[in-house]
Amino acid sequence: MSEPIENQIERYETLLREMWTASAKYLGMFSVKLLVERVVWELSLEYREIELLEYDQDGISCARIAASLKKNPDLPVDDMFAKFTTRYLKILARLLGHEKTEKIAKKLNEEFGRIPFDSKGE
Amino acid sequence: MPTNLLLSISVKYWQDFQDTLAKVMDANIYIFDVNGGSFSRFSRPVELCQEVNKGGKICNEKCIRFYKSALGSLEDKGILTCPYGIKLYAYRLGTYAQKIGFLIITPTRIRTQVGGEEENTFVTKACSIYQTINEVLKAILEKNLLGLRRLELNSIYEISRLLTSTVELDKVLDLITNSLVIIYKAELVFVGLREGDKIRVAQAKGEYGHLLIGREWPMVQPLIEQVFSKVEPSSLSIEELMTLPGLTGLEVAPGNEIMVYPLWTALGAVGLLGIVLPLSMDDDGSRNLQIYANFAAVALANAKLIRRLEIEAETEFLTGFFNKRALRNRLVEELERITRYGTPLSVIFLDIDDFKTYNDTFGHMAGDIVLQKTAEIIRNSIRLVDIASRYGGEEFVIILPGTEKEGAVAVAERIRKAIETYPFPHRQVTVSLGVASAKRNDSVDSLLARADQACYQAKRQGKNRFCLDPS
Repeated sequence: MSEPIENQIERYETLLREMWTASAKYLGMFSVKLLVERVVWELSLEYREIELLEYDQDGISCARIAASLKKNPDLPVDDMFAKFTTRYLKILARLLGHEKTEKIAKKLNEEFGRIPFDSKGE
Repeated sequence: MPTNLLLSISVKYWQDFQDTLAKVMDANIYIFDVNGGSFSRFSRPVELCQEVNKGGKICNEKCIRFYKSALGSLEDKGILTCPYGIKLYAYRLGTYAQKIGFLIITPTRIRTQVGGEEENTFVTKACSIYQTINEVLKAILEKNLLGLRRLELNSIYEISRLLTSTVELDKVLDLITNSLVIIYKAELVFVGLREGDKIRVAQAKGEYGHLLIGREWPMVQPLIEQVFSKVEPSSLSIEELMTLPGLTGLEVAPGNEIMVYPLWTALGAVGLLGIVLPLSMDDDGSRNLQIYANFAAVALANAKLIRRLEIEAETEFLTGFFNKRALRNRLVEELERITRYGTPLSVIFLDIDDFKTYNDTFGHMAGDIVLQKTAEIIRNSIRLVDIASRYGGEEFVIILPGTEKEGAVAVAERIRKAIETYPFPHRQVTVSLGVASAKRNDSVDSLLARADQACYQAKRQGKNRFCLDPS
């Protein structure tokens, strides 16, 4: 039986929070926020729902995405978040270098194994 | 930003739109990207195509080769015949500046014999479809570009606020380089700061960033001269960039744009900002980047000025050592460390013997030379982690972190001997030194007082010697 959508979104929210925290340690809050804003904009050209991602100094929330999924259950959530993560890590690699980024990616992959992390390519 | 923004559109959303249009217009529509690769699927089933391509996308090798070749040589529009005899109405999508892809329109029912009037009607219909699709795509392009501009402007606003309120140089450098990599997906961003007659790369981000950090380029280097000969940025080729010393191993992908901005303020050149972009900037993008560079120049000038003032406020001019205030601040930190980690700490108090007589006899200029030379001997006798300061007129204090009294005695004796044997002008110069090791409950004053007392003992015992604090 497939995982309920609420659980999926909760898992992705935890993943994004982990990414946010791990990146903020190296980049600072301002750069992380800008990075999320950039990836959201780029991805919104393909998945409008990503614009519903909320983020500010206090962190990141998928609550509005979860609400919108009730109206549009066909949204390919896995693809959307996988692309978000890959694009985020690709830019992160330019900022921190591949070594540090791979370390972050490895840690996240251990916890959220289904996301294809590769900071060097999409 | 990809050259072909169409690729950033959700194929699913696009296919829904295309299929609806095809149904309304009773025509088959499909789209190729700028390289002649399939973008969308057929909107309507075409019998012959279904047989050959087994589905909604071109997969037959003969067809793939045909489309790549035919679309590659298509000017604006044309009527083509596919390898299986289907007549295709082909149009180039986009504008002259921004090519998006190709549109193919075919009738839904393939007939070998078509009357002239019927064909004219279909050409008119195809033209309407083309105009509709092209307008929609151009609108999407505009929307995408507006999104990027909004991102740029938001970032410039936030950054201008932060850059003018952040005065720590390292933070300013990080902000500038991080933001440019994020906004423009720049391959490489570097900031060089002017240090006298040279530019020193203070921060660089991107795959090859590590190659640039710390590189120094003289202001008279021809390329640097060229950059600073104007206010506008210089657009460089990779060959031009590589004329800068120390860039062996740097690679820039073909088609990338290399821009170097001179960072000017009213006070002169602060440094330069280099950026390697995956694509050429349009006029709006260039203007935004120039605004960004202007803010960066002001922020860097402020941060550099603050750092210089901070250094000057802590430095004693004649010897270049820390002054009394800075010494006390460092000693507070070191005493906190011994409380926390229990590591040893010793202090040497040094006083030049009979310095007043030397000054009165040979003049203040000669006295200054003695002070400077003594400082140099101290600097050469201690480790990089040790902290030396000029405490007062002819008094110096040296903090030795992680050093027990035996180690401190050895340092004191080394300094004493080096000064005793140094050929100072006019006459021999000697020093008296007091050595004290920190106790757990020591304050700055108590520790310095014990070292001072030991120095006083050395004076009383005949000068040119050291004494160890007995407590």
